[in-house]
Amino acid sequence: MKRDPAPIAGLGDIDGATGPARRGFLRGAAMLPLLGGAAVSGGLLAAPAPARAALKTSAKVVIVGSGLGGLAVAHRLARELDGASITIVDGKEVHNYQPGYTLVATGIWPVDRVSQRNADLIPAGVQWVKEYAAEFDPAANTLTTSAGTKIRYDFLVVATGLQLDYGQIEGMDPKAIGSNGLASVYNGPAAAAATWQAMDMFRRTGGDALLTLPATPLKCAGAPLKMTFMLADRLRQAGTKDKSKLSFHSALGNVFSVPRVNDDVISRWKALDIPVTFSSKLAAIDIGARRATFVSPEGEKTELGYDFIHVVPPMRAPDVVKASALAWKEGGFAAGGWLEVDKGTLRHRRFPNVFGVGDINGTPRGKTAATVKKSAPIVANNLIDVIAQRDPSQLFDGYTSCPLLLREGSALLIEFDYEGRLTPSLPGVDPMQESWFAWIMKTSFLKPAYMAVLKGRA
Amino acid sequence: MYEIWLALNIVWELALANSGLAIGYAVIVVALALIASRAGGRAWRRGLPAAVLAGLVVAIAAFALVPSLSVSSFAELRYWVDWANLVAIAAGFGAAGAMLAWPLAAIIRGPR
Repeated sequence: MKRDPAPIAGLGDIDGATGPARRGFLRGAAMLPLLGGAAVSGGLLAAPAPARAALKTSAKVVIVGSGLGGLAVAHRLARELDGASITIVDGKEVHNYQPGYTLVATGIWPVDRVSQRNADLIPAGVQWVKEYAAEFDPAANTLTTSAGTKIRYDFLVVATGLQLDYGQIEGMDPKAIGSNGLASVYNGPAAAAATWQAMDMFRRTGGDALLTLPATPLKCAGAPLKMTFMLADRLRQAGTKDKSKLSFHSALGNVFSVPRVNDDVISRWKALDIPVTFSSKLAAIDIGARRATFVSPEGEKTELGYDFIHVVPPMRAPDVVKASALAWKEGGFAAGGWLEVDKGTLRHRRFPNVFGVGDINGTPRGKTAATVKKSAPIVANNLIDVIAQRDPSQLFDGYTSCPLLLREGSALLIEFDYEGRLTPSLPGVDPMQESWFAWIMKTSFLKPAYMAVLKGRA
Repeated sequence: MYEIWLALNIVWELALANSGLAIGYAVIVVALALIASRAGGRAWRRGLPAAVLAGLVVAIAAFALVPSLSVSSFAELRYWVDWANLVAIAAGFGAAGAMLAWPLAAIIRGPR
């Protein structure tokens, strides 16, 4: 059994929904400068955390997915279970730091900063089946992989992430991102880099730009807004803003689900002369002709030409979850096939030996890495409770944060919960106040924080 | 407590990501400290003012340069949180500079 060299004691308790350090992710980063100096100069870098006794068990735990959520839970379980068999099922060889995509797509980061070998991140002692899950049979506690391997489990953690559904946009070809003014930040590092190429080309001349938002739940729901703000800033820097017309098309009645943030963003866009058309869904695109078709809820179609377009794909659960008994069967999350978990315990509502973490969960609000930071320890803790035949003891409050880039050098640090309440980590700090602090959080400190979360230490 | 732990983790990950720099810094500080230890406690005391001065210079330089090095500018520091963080970051660099300068100053000044 693998033992982490720097285990953290009682983090689950500290990080509980009722605990005092509920939103420590950003608060901790805010303390970084002071601690950084102290740690570097004081030799504290290797300071280990005290250990917590591991639970002895022979349980077989299978984690499907090796994104941030799957790896964070795997690291914690590997440390806190003694004798368990832990298996990660995922065919992907490369781990991508997805919060960096917007930085790559807007020319702030080089693309090589967002990818690393998955093999370097799998916890020691955890078995890695390099195949994709193809079918779940939760009644029989088994799953089948794309290679036909049948894997039995006692406990299952679903961390598959979500599926970008570009196919819902007629004529859309993700391979064409980067050409003909077509941009889309979500489709991986190469698409993010290609998006920057398209933006860089566009800003030299300016022109008509369309920015879109679909009606489905999104991961990093701030990304479409960041792309809009940064496009306006790149045009301003290039001196072509006056020759350009940016317009945002939201398939919803808002641009962000938290009302105060929504109102603030729209107000800022008004000042930047970026009008918003609501209930306007991107339905089709002619990439070669640079024309996009939007449709209203009443079915009325509007065709617009563009020089640059940022396409945000509809998102849903991957087929393996959507087609399984694990998906919501009724209610608002059923259409997307999202995982039916209790929003507090993150335990499956019908299969009590199944938990979910990350984007796949059919729970309110969009997810980000910060969501995983807060929820992965809760999932690990609650799963350990269940293995020990106790009730799950921790509840997730839906905490999410989004450093919303406003322009090069400045951002907002937005934190909110399931109810859409703003939940700033730092007392006395206005979350709607633009700041350099939020900018360096996003560009300098969040990746190391992400890595600490991934390794199950924070 | 949790925030301190998280911040230490961030520092640790930053050091891992810049391991060449971090190890190089640590090796130089330790090597200088070992050399300076032969000079005795008096040399360390004599070197302290110079180390503090060096740390101050580094802190001032960091204060002036960090905004532009972070692809931003002083014009974007519009909130008290920004200034508090810049001061803290500059202080961190200053402390690191002083840690490097202290044994060096002790060696140069030596026991008299």
